[in-house]
Amino acid sequence: MVATYVKRAYSSFAAHVFDVPPRLLALLLFILLLFCPLVKPGQSIQLILRDTFFFAMLAVSWDLLVGRTGQISLGHALFFGIGAYGTALLYQYLALPPWITIPIAILIGISVAPLIGLPCLRVKGPYLALVTMALPLILSAVIKYGPITHITGGEMGIGPLPPLIPTELFQRIGFSYRESLPLVELANYYLALVLLFVFSVVLYKIANSKTGMIFVSILDDELASKACGINVTRYKLMAFTISGLFATMTGAFYAHLVTIVNPWFLSLMHISFPTIIRTFLGGIGTIYGPLVGTHIYFILDRYVLEKMVQLPFLTYTQWTYTRLLIFAAIVIVLIIKWPRGIARFVTDKLQDLEEARDLDERGKWIWKTYKKKKME
Amino acid sequence: MHLLEVENLTKRFGGLTAVNEVSFHVDEGELVGIMGPNGAGKTTLFNLISGFLRPTSGTVKFKGENITGLAPHKIVNKGIARTFQIVRPFRHLPVIANVMVSLKSPRGARKIEWLKTDERKALDLLEDVGLSELMLEPAENVGHGDLKRLEMARALATEPDLLMLDEPFGGLNPLETDFLTKSILRMHLDESSRGIVIVEHKLYALMKIVERVIVLHQGEKIAEGKPEEIAKNKKVIEVYMGKEM
Repeated sequence: MVATYVKRAYSSFAAHVFDVPPRLLALLLFILLLFCPLVKPGQSIQLILRDTFFFAMLAVSWDLLVGRTGQISLGHALFFGIGAYGTALLYQYLALPPWITIPIAILIGISVAPLIGLPCLRVKGPYLALVTMALPLILSAVIKYGPITHITGGEMGIGPLPPLIPTELFQRIGFSYRESLPLVELANYYLALVLLFVFSVVLYKIANSKTGMIFVSILDDELASKACGINVTRYKLMAFTISGLFATMTGAFYAHLVTIVNPWFLSLMHISFPTIIRTFLGGIGTIYGPLVGTHIYFILDRYVLEKMVQLPFLTYTQWTYTRLLIFAAIVIVLIIKWPRGIARFVTDKLQDLEEARDLDERGKWIWKTYKKKKME
Repeated sequence: MHLLEVENLTKRFGGLTAVNEVSFHVDEGELVGIMGPNGAGKTTLFNLISGFLRPTSGTVKFKGENITGLAPHKIVNKGIARTFQIVRPFRHLPVIANVMVSLKSPRGARKIEWLKTDERKALDLLEDVGLSELMLEPAENVGHGDLKRLEMARALATEPDLLMLDEPFGGLNPLETDFLTKSILRMHLDESSRGIVIVEHKLYALMKIVERVIVLHQGEKIAEGKPEEIAKNKKVIEVYMGKEM
């Protein structure tokens, strides 16, 4: 009885995951990440990966808006910042715990996204990109505005915020404070991983639903979707809101992990542009692409380029911006060489192999029947 | 009451008058052709009716309701579907999904046939135009003639009361033209209340199927009548062939 159910579940799983190369690839990545801290419980790799997960979420949500709907937004940092500042201000003035402030911050994100989208989505293409790029700049200028810095925290930011998983949780079970610190880090790591998994599955589902199909139709030909009777503005707003919602969530959770919120959350150089680079690295419009792209970005960034700080001719600040330049150059080369991104390149190759194998088998079969006929 | 009533429709682009005081009507179940040489304003007229352009003056009435200047998607949901002269497929989507986009519009999603899923409906529509074999092929890999038929399937998916075809035979070989002619005629016979408007260059293909022809020249309507009458009309011959020396 149970065995049949298990069998059926397995066969359905195999059909839905094993036979689809991108999903298999993503699954392998998640399994690898699941066991990563157990293999090497070092602190630094764990922290880097945790950050990677959050920026992967941001990149995936950007990909739904830009890769699927074609509405180019350079201001994704806005939603990231709204999430972070929303939860931080709520904590500071109402002293609410993070499990209440985060949902409220998300609600703020949902209500702000259409308000911003409605005027912004009237313009198209490069103009939309410019308008959206201005938005986080405006918000960070407001936050840094002299007379209200005592409310918004100004350049110094707001903090410390309460962590999502406090050390008391482990101390209550019986661990000492010293013992519970790495446990908290481990718990944070898995929380981030679970969030990433849920985010990417939900966004992948949305992108491949019938609504996602309409998003792609808007990307391909807006006029033709209008001629199909689709209310284009509504669907654009929907994509904008979904994307903003997920970015807000990411920002709100991330703020509680780093326990401080400052204008860095709204910066183009650190949030918006790297997100775009990561998405292109993995393959835009695929949802699983940015996931892979962000990991590649962080490996390159933290393990290759970070080592170059020791070079004598650059100061650290100069180096942070040079790094971005190097990545931009990499992306330009990539767009010329593999315009569909690294992840897309791999899955395409897998698909080609599969087709080649099919052809091979068919060829063998034809050859066999041919020989049989000859024998007769 | 006419199905579509166009009254004194005018569109000016700066100094150029693309459509000048054009009036005509289409009845239920009628197959009307609009013809004219290049630059006569046929496509502009189409764009004005389907809401892609706002007329400078004049009105468009559909089933007695004024629809002048409505948004294109609203007009589609009122029951006017159109195709484009230059094919506009959704290149990243498979052929069947192209049709399903139309089925997700409010009018296309009306549940008239309860037992049919969107996929089934889309497949039926593709079968009608003879594209069912290509249903999973991305539209970017499909040839031009098939895309023309895909355009038609997409327009039909919204179950329009008035179908406007903008040069459906453009770029087709004689065989494909013949096939399309037949499917238009079959569609015309199946749905007795549906009006069809065809804009076309290829007079030979057009004259065979339509019941009434409207001739445009430099934005103005110069003649209207049965195909046989139009073929003998002096003004029309002059426009197409030039004046007798």
